[in-house]
Parts: sequence; C-alpha cells; structure tokens
Amino acid sequence: MATQSSRFEFDPGFEDDRLRIVWYAIIGVLVAVGAYATYLRLTGGMATTNLTSIVPWGAWVAFYIYFVGLSAGAFLVSTMANVFEVEGMHRIDRDALFAAIISMAVALLFVWIDLGRMDRMYFPFLWRQLTSALSWEVHAYVAYIGILVTELYFSMRIDLARVAQRASGLRQTFYAALALGRLDTSEGSQSFDQRWLKRAGIVGIPLAIFLVHGGTGVLFAVSKARPYWNSGLFPVIFVISALLSGTALVMVIYVLRTRLFDGDSVDPDLLDRLAQLLIGFIIVDAALTAIETFIAIASLHPHEIETWQVIMYGPMSWSFWWFMIGFSWVFPMVLLTKKSWRRTPSVMVLAGLSVVIGIVAVRFNIVVPAQIMPVMEGLPHGSYFPTLVEWGTSVGMIGVGLLLYTLGAETLPLTPLTGGDHE
Amino acid sequence: MSTADDDTLPGIPNVGKADLDAMVEKERPDPREELADVEADTDLGVAMAEDAQRVARGELSGDEYWEKYDEAAAAEFGEAYQETPNPAVDAGDQTVSTETAESLSCAVGSMDTVATESTQVEGDGPDGGIGAGDEKWGMVIDLQKCVGCDSCTVACKSENRTPPGVSYNVVMEEEHGEFPNVTRTNVPRPCMQCDNPPCVQVCPVSATYKMDDGVVNIDYDRCIGCRYCNIACPYGARYFDFGENYDDEVDGAGELTSSEYGVDRGPREEGKSPIGNIRKCSFCTHRLERGEEPACVETCVGDARNMGDLENPDSDVAQMADSSRAFQLKEDEGTDPNVYYLK
Repeated sequence: MATQSSRFEFDPGFEDDRLRIVWYAIIGVLVAVGAYATYLRLTGGMATTNLTSIVPWGAWVAFYIYFVGLSAGAFLVSTMANVFEVEGMHRIDRDALFAAIISMAVALLFVWIDLGRMDRMYFPFLWRQLTSALSWEVHAYVAYIGILVTELYFSMRIDLARVAQRASGLRQTFYAALALGRLDTSEGSQSFDQRWLKRAGIVGIPLAIFLVHGGTGVLFAVSKARPYWNSGLFPVIFVISALLSGTALVMVIYVLRTRLFDGDSVDPDLLDRLAQLLIGFIIVDAALTAIETFIAIASLHPHEIETWQVIMYGPMSWSFWWFMIGFSWVFPMVLLTKKSWRRTPSVMVLAGLSVVIGIVAVRFNIVVPAQIMPVMEGLPHGSYFPTLVEWGTSVGMIGVGLLLYTLGAETLPLTPLTGGDHE
Repeated sequence: MSTADDDTLPGIPNVGKADLDAMVEKERPDPREELADVEADTDLGVAMAEDAQRVARGELSGDEYWEKYDEAAAAEFGEAYQETPNPAVDAGDQTVSTETAESLSCAVGSMDTVATESTQVEGDGPDGGIGAGDEKWGMVIDLQKCVGCDSCTVACKSENRTPPGVSYNVVMEEEHGEFPNVTRTNVPRPCMQCDNPPCVQVCPVSATYKMDDGVVNIDYDRCIGCRYCNIACPYGARYFDFGENYDDEVDGAGELTSSEYGVDRGPREEGKSPIGNIRKCSFCTHRLERGEEPACVETCVGDARNMGDLENPDSDVAQMADSSRAFQLKEDEGTDPNVYYLK
C-alpha cells in the first residue's frame, strides 16, 4: 500500500518470495518444454506438425490471431484511460499497454515459427504486394508496436524519472535510460507526456481496430475460396472478440498484480467497471456470432452449412460447445450477473480466466473448420489436431510471454506511483 | 542371359542365335536401294557406312576414317558439310585426335551449340527469360475422352519429381446418382493458371506472379512459406513442400530434381528450397520453353489433354475453348482459368 509517509514508494515485484520461486519454476518448465519442442521443429521442419496441404493453417495461426486479439483488446481498454479519460481507469493504463506489447511479441513469435522458411522472416519488408492483406498486416503490426511502446513510454516516463532520481548506480542508469534521459518531474513535463500519450492513442485506435485486428480478420475474410470466412461481418466479430479477451486479460492482470505484486487491495469500483464492460462485449460478441451463423445457414450454401455442421457436430464440437460457448460466454456471464460477485476479485479472476481460455477455442474454430471441407468436390476432406511439437512450441512461446511480462512487472512502475488517476 | 544356344531355360522355346541373325538380316534395308532415293553419291554413302562399321568394331581408327573421307564429303555436301560441326569433334567427348580435327574442313564445335543456336533462332522474343513467350498457354481437357487412368498424375510426379504429399495434378473422381443410375466423371485438375489468380493477390512478398505467357510462377528463392496462397486457391492446386522424400521407396530419390520455371536447383537437400515453399503445376514451363508439351499432355492415353496458344485463333486449344462444350471450373469466382474443360 502506498503510504502517506512515502509518496513515491517503489517496490515492484512479488510480495511473497516463495510465490516468486514457484511462479518462475512454472515458467521455467513451460520454456524448457517449448525449447525442446522448438528444437524438434527446427530440425524436423514443418513435417513435425499435423499440417497438410489441405489444412495448411493450424494451431500456430490460431494462437497468432489469438494474441493479436488479446493485444488489440488490451490496447483499446488502455485508451479508455488515456484518450477517453474514463474516470478511475488510469490505474490499469500501463498494465493494459504492457500486456498489449507482450501479446504482440508472442503473436509475432507464432507467425515466425509458422513460416516454412523461418530464415526469410524479413522478406515482407523487402518485397510487398499491395493486394495482399498479409503484406499490409506485417507493416501494421510494426507500426502498432511502435505506438504501444510510445504510449507506454509517455504513460510511465514520469514515474521512471522519479525512480531514477531516488535510485543510484546501475539502477539509476537503467531507469534514466528507460526514461530516455528526460528526468524532469515537473507538472509541465507531465502534461506534455499526457498530451502526447493522448495523441499516440488517437492514432493507435484506428490502427488497432481497422488495421491490426480488423485487418487480421480481413486477411481471412478476403479468402473467397473459404465461404465460412468470406463475410463482411467476420472482421467486425474479430474486433469484438478481441475486445472481449483483452478486457478479460486486463481484469485478471489488474487483480493479480495488485494483490501479488503491490500487496494492495483491489478497487471494487474499477473492477465493477471492467466487469460491466465484459458483459457488454460478451453480449455483442455472442449476438454478432449468432447473426453470422444465421446468415451462413440461411444462405443454404452447401459449403457454409457443412462447415457449420463440422463445428457444431463434428469431432471437435466439444471446443465449440464447451470452450467457445461455455467458457467465453455462458460461464463468465453467470459470474458477471451478480453485483456483489462483480466486486469480488477472486470471482472476477475466475470469470476473466474463463474468457481468456475460451477465446482460444474461438480462434481455433475460426482457423480450422474452414479447411475441413474440400474447396472442390472430389478433393479430400481435411482433418487436423496439433502434434505434441505444435502444443509444446505453443506452450513455450506463451511461457516466453509470461516471463517477459513478469520481468517487466518486477522492474517497471506499472502501477502509477501516485496511486490511481493522473493527479 | 544365356550365352550358348543350347543353354535354354525350362518352358522357354529355344530360338537359335542364327535364326535371330537371319531375322535381322531379312528386315535390314538394302543400303543401295535406300541411298538411291537421295541425291548424294550412293557409292560414297555405302563406303562410308561400311567403314563406319569397321570403326565401330575397332578395325579402323576415327582419325583414319575422317582423313579418308573429309575431302570426298566436302566435295559431295559442300557448304552443309563445312558448316556443320563434326560429331567426332566435341569439346568433352572427342573421338579423333586434335591434329585430325584441325585438318578437317567441317566446322568445329559441339552439337549442343548447334542445338542451342537453332532454338534461339526459332524461339520467341529476344531473350526475355522464362515465360516471356508470345503465346498465352492454355490447356483444354476433354472430359469425354478422360478415362480416369491417373497416368497424367503419375507422369507429372515423375517429370516434376514432386515429393510425397505434393501432386501438381490430381484426377478428381465424382460419382453422381444411385445405383443403377450412376454417372461418373473424372476431372483432372492441374493448376488453372488463372488470369485473375487469388494466390498472386494474397502473396505478401510477391513471390508468386503471372508471367507474360500466362503461367503463374513461384519464385522459390523468395517464398517465405506462409501458405496464404494455399488457403486462397479455390482449386486446391497449391501444395506445401514439407520436406518428405521417397528415399524409402527409391534409392537416391532426391538426386535429380526438375528444373521448374527454368531453374536447376541440383539435388534435393534438407533446408533448401523448394522445401518449406509452396509448389504447384507450372504447365511444365521448362518443357514448353524447349518446345515440348507438358508431361501430362504428352502421356494422356485418351488424348484428352491439349496444350496450345489460346491467343492464336487457329490453334486447336483456342477453337476447343470457344466451343459450346467448353467450361471452366468455378466460373463464378471470377478467376478466369486458362484451363478449359469440354463437357
């Protein structure tokens, strides 16, 4: 708890040392599993996956769009504080931005490992194709990461300066470097930061909605060969489900970091506000998905109908009913309905985690089913379930993300030193 | 193989070597009669042929042979003889001594250079590289003639030496109706070489593109293996090379590769393109460039597949593609394939 006696108390990191060890041990296991699986992937090539020429996109692509969604969602939550100046949201501004950066880094790791020629990952910056959504996306991701880092800088700079002023030696150099040498903590410098934070956010909002995540939806939607993706509503649902998962992630991070790192108590009003946002996003996401499904089925287009049959009744239908509908919509909705639960941190962590896990299934159900039905009658049907190498590498990359996040949370002033809102 | 005449295998009739020789002799054309049909001197022809047999048997050396006939041949054939390189004089595989070679009055140089020169004279356009030809290649497949034997698929695999899981051509077999009213259609499916190819549209690095002759090329040196084109192709014509091999089935399966798109990439090796790239039918561009038909067209037992220039109104394919029987796959996709089918 930030006490009155020390206005800028800065002690990031775990409150409980045993918990720190356990947490890093878990991350260590994840990363070790991932490292071994990645070794197998690098030496064995793409043959270590269950991908085929019929189902060329699988788990890695699903996780890639999942993490792009998490990032875009978390970023948009941050703009509520720094652009729209929603009261009481500043507390989670940096949490959301930092989570957005890490998610984006993890997303790009997934894109990278998915390339048949990983050594050529920089080629999209050498050669382009104006009509290719993917070509545009690669550039949008870079611009977006630039915006995120800029925003986090302007949001956190004054606290980095404060920490640097009070620290000495290497620590001082470290924080001063992160502040890019701008160690002025005057009100003037702060309002300068806030002005630029808002400007970056204003550029970032359309970038995140239309290019980064909407664009990732477009990447699929332009594929006329796959009627299941080929709809105008598709990119919109992409953005909504991104908001859903991003809000849930920020809520979980807010509670866990406040409790375990700051040793602080959770602000029930802020929690309630996030929870209500979550309700709204669940409703919009479920409704738009229902509309999309209805249009698809009402079209009587055999390819559409058969794809939906695969989703609802196929061998992987459990992921649709249990994870997509159960974990990302129904279960969290039940937990969110009661006002006292919305103000209870543990219940909200449960609801948030449920959504964060459920949306993984949403992403898998976007990527895989469209590839099961053959593009032409007479060609073979696809079938796909990830191999252990695919699962292992995925676990490893998620582990890397958790590691980066934890290291950041242990060193950076992600909680505003002056408490909640900008003073 | 048996060496002696009486060395027969049980159940196999004994055909004597003398009988076989007699059969060959009977079929052998009379040299004088054959040469009488051409303008050149018959006596010289017979003499050269008989001495050539002696060279083959080792009774006469190549040097002696050419020294003996050089003058006579030059007198008989004139310019044609002087301008044509002597097959015995070749950079890598010369069968006469340098001295003799230099004394000959015919041109010096390998037969290969002559072949290359003549192709360049006949070839289209001044050195525009692969796919720069004036033709617009198109294929017409007559479904009434296709028997569904899959030999096009096999010929394609062996011509392009595609690995397991990669098949530029497949034959889709469709069965309609219920017994006994059943119809069956075989639809061979190469790459459609679309005029508006969705694969080209989505490639983030422009590694796949239309060539002037209408063929969709893949630059294996640029493809990053993202498989977006694989997703976008409405015909399922694109395949990812997962790096698998036929090594268990065939010894040294990867030693030879096809010079797809005119690029010779040497033996198939791990981590080397096209492994990790997308692959597809190229209309056998490497064959088209040297004036041959694609392997599938050449091999088709029912003569169902036709290759030619769609922009030449007199060509067979242009006329067939114009017929009322002609259609394209998924016409409403707007891809405008250059592969036509005849109902």
